[in-house]
Amino acid sequence: MQRAKDTFYIALRDRIAALNPARTAWVRGIVRPAVLIEENELAGDFPPLNAFRLRWTALEAYPHGPLPLVKMRCEIRYATAGNPGNGGMDRGRMMAAMDAEIAQALTEPPQRVLKTDYATPAAPQPQRTNIFWGDVQFGAIAANGEQLERTASVDVYSYQETSER
Amino acid sequence: MAQSLQNQVAFRRVADALLLSSGGRSVKLRIPASAVPADPSEQLGLAVPQFEDVELSPATFRNTSAKIAEGKATQRDLIVSASAIETLTSSTAFGSAESLFASAFGVLIDDRLLTILSATEMEAGGAVFAYRLTLREPIANAP
Repeated sequence: MQRAKDTFYIALRDRIAALNPARTAWVRGIVRPAVLIEENELAGDFPPLNAFRLRWTALEAYPHGPLPLVKMRCEIRYATAGNPGNGGMDRGRMMAAMDAEIAQALTEPPQRVLKTDYATPAAPQPQRTNIFWGDVQFGAIAANGEQLERTASVDVYSYQETSER
Repeated sequence: MAQSLQNQVAFRRVADALLLSSGGRSVKLRIPASAVPADPSEQLGLAVPQFEDVELSPATFRNTSAKIAEGKATQRDLIVSASAIETLTSSTAFGSAESLFASAFGVLIDDRLLTILSATEMEAGGAVFAYRLTLREPIANAP
């Protein structure tokens, strides 16, 4: 399952970086693509704005079949307060831009990518099967003070290969 | 312009003197080392950064003005000199006080690690002379 989570993150990060290279976040002194996995970052009370934060939630396993199928739900949380230079009055437009980026990144064909093991010390190791995902579902916008917040979610599927068990 | 800068320096010196005379002490800010550029290991949680404790002084820990609510962790205030923060931001990769506090893991006070909930600038005469940090005590687990 971890390999599927890692592979999905890398695929989404690279697609967002290709769609909008300016979508970056300042994380511990460096600038990197603004796609973060919450559980791999310091727990903090200042989630970065204008960035996509991935949170893995539901998990279902279907053990029947030659290889067990696993379905994991990935919630993608993002928020914006607009541009401070514009008094935050463009926050609706900035939220729409983020909606469009995440929709395009997740619905652009192919909605699959070869599963890869990124934990090998030498180099990422391609696996035998793909991970694939369904269409993205957008939650309602929530207004939190000057911030607009939204959670999108997508179901990610992968087969548990023998080497993962 | 020169007069304004002199005033700002004076405000900071007065603030530092006040902090020192009103129970001034040192605390430690626990900050992670800078991330490694273009290395996905940390992004994937495969590697964790080193942490370092950096001394902040002078600071005043308002131990008696805690916000206590049933079922919630206690919150306390810490006032830290802006001079100490400026020295730190100029010598580390954290370019601003805001990014420094946002990246910090917590503040170590008497061997207790408190989480930073918010950081507010304290300003006079156009100069930031101190930062007020709202800290949360560790959540006690049920026995």
